[in-house]
Amino acid sequence: MMENAWLIPIFPLVTFLVLLLSGGRLRERGAYIGIIFTLASFVLSVLALVERLTAPTYKTTMDWLSIGGTQLTAGFEINQLNALMLVIVSFVSLLVQIYSLGYMKGEERFSTFYAYLGFFTFAMLGLVMAPNLVQLYFFWELVGVGSFLLIGFYFYRQEAKDAAKKAFIMTRIGDVGLLIGIILLFWETGSFEYEEIFQAVQAGVIPDGSITLIAILIFIGAVGKSGQFPLHTWLPDAMEGPTPVSALIHAATMVAAGVYLVATMFPLFLASDAAMQVVAVTGGFTAIFAASIATVQKDIKRVLAYSTISQLGFMMLALGTAGYVAGVFHLMTHAFFKALLFLAAGSVIHAIHTQDIERMGGLWGRLKWTGPLFLAGTLAISGFPLLSGFFSKDEILMAAWANGNYFLFSLAVITSFLTAFYMFRLFFMIFAGESRIQAEQVKESPAIMLLPMLVLGILAVVGGYIQTPWFGTFLGEWLVEGNEAVLGSGHSEGPVWIMLLAVLIALAGIFLAYMIYAKTKLPREWLVKKDSTLYRILENKFYIDEIYYFTIVQLIKGIGLFLSYVERFIIGGLVTTVTGSIEGLGKIGSKLQSGQVQQYGMIAFLGLAVLLVIFALTGGYLR
Amino acid sequence: MNVYLLSLLVFSPLLGILMISLMPKKEERTIKQFGFFGTLPPLILSFFLCSQYYSGVALSAFSIKVDWIRFGNLEMYDPKLFAVNYELGLDGLSLSFILLTTIVSSLAAMASIYIKQGWKGYYLLFLILEIGMLGVFTAENLILFFIFFEMTLVPAFFLIGRWGFLEREKASYYFLIYNGIGSAVLLVAILILFARTGTTNIAALTQMMTMGGVSLFAPISSSMKYGLCLAFLIAFAIKLPVFPFHSWMVRVHAEAHPSIVMVHAGVLLKIGAYGIIRFAMGIFPEQYESLALALVLMGVISFLYGAWLAMVQTDFKLVLAYSSISHMGIVMMGLGALNEAGLQGAVFQVISHGLIAALLFFLVGALYERTGSTMLPNLGGLARSMPVFSGFLLACGLASLGLPGMSGFISEFMVFLGLFKGQPLLAAIAVIGLIFTAIYILRAVMLMTFGKNDSLEEKEKRDIEGWELVPALVLLGLIIAIGVYPNLLGGPIQSTIEAVMLALGGR
Repeated sequence: MMENAWLIPIFPLVTFLVLLLSGGRLRERGAYIGIIFTLASFVLSVLALVERLTAPTYKTTMDWLSIGGTQLTAGFEINQLNALMLVIVSFVSLLVQIYSLGYMKGEERFSTFYAYLGFFTFAMLGLVMAPNLVQLYFFWELVGVGSFLLIGFYFYRQEAKDAAKKAFIMTRIGDVGLLIGIILLFWETGSFEYEEIFQAVQAGVIPDGSITLIAILIFIGAVGKSGQFPLHTWLPDAMEGPTPVSALIHAATMVAAGVYLVATMFPLFLASDAAMQVVAVTGGFTAIFAASIATVQKDIKRVLAYSTISQLGFMMLALGTAGYVAGVFHLMTHAFFKALLFLAAGSVIHAIHTQDIERMGGLWGRLKWTGPLFLAGTLAISGFPLLSGFFSKDEILMAAWANGNYFLFSLAVITSFLTAFYMFRLFFMIFAGESRIQAEQVKESPAIMLLPMLVLGILAVVGGYIQTPWFGTFLGEWLVEGNEAVLGSGHSEGPVWIMLLAVLIALAGIFLAYMIYAKTKLPREWLVKKDSTLYRILENKFYIDEIYYFTIVQLIKGIGLFLSYVERFIIGGLVTTVTGSIEGLGKIGSKLQSGQVQQYGMIAFLGLAVLLVIFALTGGYLR
Repeated sequence: MNVYLLSLLVFSPLLGILMISLMPKKEERTIKQFGFFGTLPPLILSFFLCSQYYSGVALSAFSIKVDWIRFGNLEMYDPKLFAVNYELGLDGLSLSFILLTTIVSSLAAMASIYIKQGWKGYYLLFLILEIGMLGVFTAENLILFFIFFEMTLVPAFFLIGRWGFLEREKASYYFLIYNGIGSAVLLVAILILFARTGTTNIAALTQMMTMGGVSLFAPISSSMKYGLCLAFLIAFAIKLPVFPFHSWMVRVHAEAHPSIVMVHAGVLLKIGAYGIIRFAMGIFPEQYESLALALVLMGVISFLYGAWLAMVQTDFKLVLAYSSISHMGIVMMGLGALNEAGLQGAVFQVISHGLIAALLFFLVGALYERTGSTMLPNLGGLARSMPVFSGFLLACGLASLGLPGMSGFISEFMVFLGLFKGQPLLAAIAVIGLIFTAIYILRAVMLMTFGKNDSLEEKEKRDIEGWELVPALVLLGLIIAIGVYPNLLGGPIQSTIEAVMLALGGR
């Protein structure tokens, strides 16, 4: 099966092409094309994964571009990590496409939406299958375009337009770092292929300084794509896209590509302590930073967006503290519960047509399916015992502890508390308390939307059992199989109290949120006063957008203005000089045509004299 | 048969010229048809050449050499001395430029349907221009090259000055002055070379200058070589153009008719890059190498300067004009990188930008036909009324900003790959330009297509349709084909690049 794996990304590409060429005539039928082809991809992915469980890594390549003596190749590879990613991506994409049948009902550009989804799925699947860095970069940019198209799907809305542009440009900043990293790595190792790069790294032929520099440059790419600080500002804005898109791209798959990149390049990062430190600190800081913002946001999708940033920070923290398995494991569980949360949020929005959580409340009884499913996702992300997020978060805490980085460990613990708190704040504000909306206006979503949520809900609950300290660490052992020396063991050992602490912290967060938002025993301002500076800072997301606007954007605009003056006066002056002198020459020339024979004779004589002088000085010619 | 093929190719537009000149002035429809059909013979011949190449025929088999002009009376010493032959030839590099020329010309002739008056003169000049372009890329000696080069200037001057926007006459005037200066410098350099060596054959000159060992008719000192190399560089840098010689080209982009700009940006500017590779780099590798840093610097400045100015323009045509300067900066950087990756990237960039610029200006023409404006503040919301147009515009914009899967990525990637090897510091500065490119392209494209207010009047709300899809699809198809499988273009140009690199590094 693995030799036919190239078909996996081709199917969604076919969707894209068919729907694009049909020019919207298919309308809702386009959705079925998309779903069928994605289903085919999913089935193939599962088959590839099953085969990969026992078979060795499969890789095939062909010549793609020759530069002098260097052959760049294109091909694909099926190893543990990307076999797992293929399944996650095609699966979430399939569910989201089914869900969208209900959510996007009545949309005029239905088939365009599915065309874009197909394009994104193609690019994302291609990204995870790439066997070398050029191909990875190739698809890395394409997923960016897919994301851009889908964020800007409602192109007539100013916010969507700005958000799409911002997403593309912010991630492009990261991409430039990645590009430089790839190029420098090529000149150090002479190859773009993962295997050859890792061999060169392990052979120690690259100077330490270069490894650190290259690893950090590659990490900048991951920072852009995964919305890590300081390039995170595009991700919350990206919520302007349709909600299923947020679930697929901005929660489960594309934003995890940065984590995937670091995981793929893990041997390179491991070779540099400094680079690992950068990854861990960036991840840890982003985790707590985004979590703190999420505690005061009022838009249901933005809370989830900041939560995504925070959770991605968690994964980076895990990878940076050598917790390869922990990072990948959390990537997987997060894909399930965050996709679930977004779809459930979409279902809420679908029912009451607002995203403002202050206008929600009392929906528990009204949304009989969405409510419990949202709760399952919330419990999973909060690290409630025995749900998927509990196990993966525990694995991350263990990794951080085992790495001996106690500062980052405590950051992670605080973030866990904040996570439980803000997620249950969200949950209670939506579902508990007084209803603020007329009962007859609230309608539960159709089965076509609930079904994908139900599947994800089950996975969010039980998905963690493939890697537990009690029943076995199947995932971890399989992921590092044959590569233990580099990737570390399949499971981080740590003291038992860490798990207990994690449980207590999660419960404490839930309890606090319960007291404030459900029981209203404590006032909402119990934690931070509404008019305090801290509240304002959090509400305005630490003013990062404003800082960028007043520094970088203004600087670029200023230089642009300056250069347009250069263009007008200096270059314009040059043009005037050139044309003026040509015209001047012409005028002099025409004045000489005076018709006076004496004047002609004198000029001829002078010219002859000049020529003779030159001849005498140079002996005939200039050398 | 084979030896006449190139002459046939170069002069085949004469057929169209003949047919059009027999038509009365008023026959708009027929003239336009003939004008378009006139570009087909070279197109078909170039495809035939291409298929011959792929079926394994050596390109040298197509060379033709006929005695033409002889200066002086020196046969008794050496019959080759001071003789200028009529000689045309082909290699992989010129083949790809020829294909670019014939394809872009045919599509531009199609786009010329938008021309409103003076069709007869327009198409006559257009076809003469094509002869000139084809000749430039096949000429085997400098004199012939120069003749064809001038043959592109004169028709282009009239085409810009007569069929264009408001300030077209001023634009054509600047075009003439700047290109005239370039030509003058070029002519002086060519004549000095001719006087000193007794030949203008490019291959012979390359041999003499790089290998040495051949006794020259008159010696050339090393400082003279620098002077000549510099003269070639300046002449072609004006043509390309690079900062600070660019302002003529901005005016031409903004004021000439879009179908002329398709040819101008698509092919004419590329003669600059072709000339640098063939003459400055090919004939004077040693001198070129020591001047390469200056080329990179000019390239980096053009790249950033063009991008920065493209960010603040309010006319879409000007955005594209500055974007062209920026993209020609990439060519310069590649040419200055002095390694295979850089040089190959530069050639890719030339071809790729030719296709992208042609498509963008085709779209400008189609848009102007409907809206009567290319000012960004007047446009918006086109995605609603013209979804296909907007799709092409976005795809082409993405190609222009170097999206993988499109030709622009391959060239930018290779240029930066090469530049980071040779000049890492300058490369690190230049790479910021990639972000700016994304900013200005998205800004312009989104201002036009996104947003609520629809700028089109009800009666003009028609998407691009019918024949208009042909140029758009062909160009986009080529852009994607090169982007997905770059060896398509990499194969033919490989041997030329290797030869040039051998001379550069072979001493």
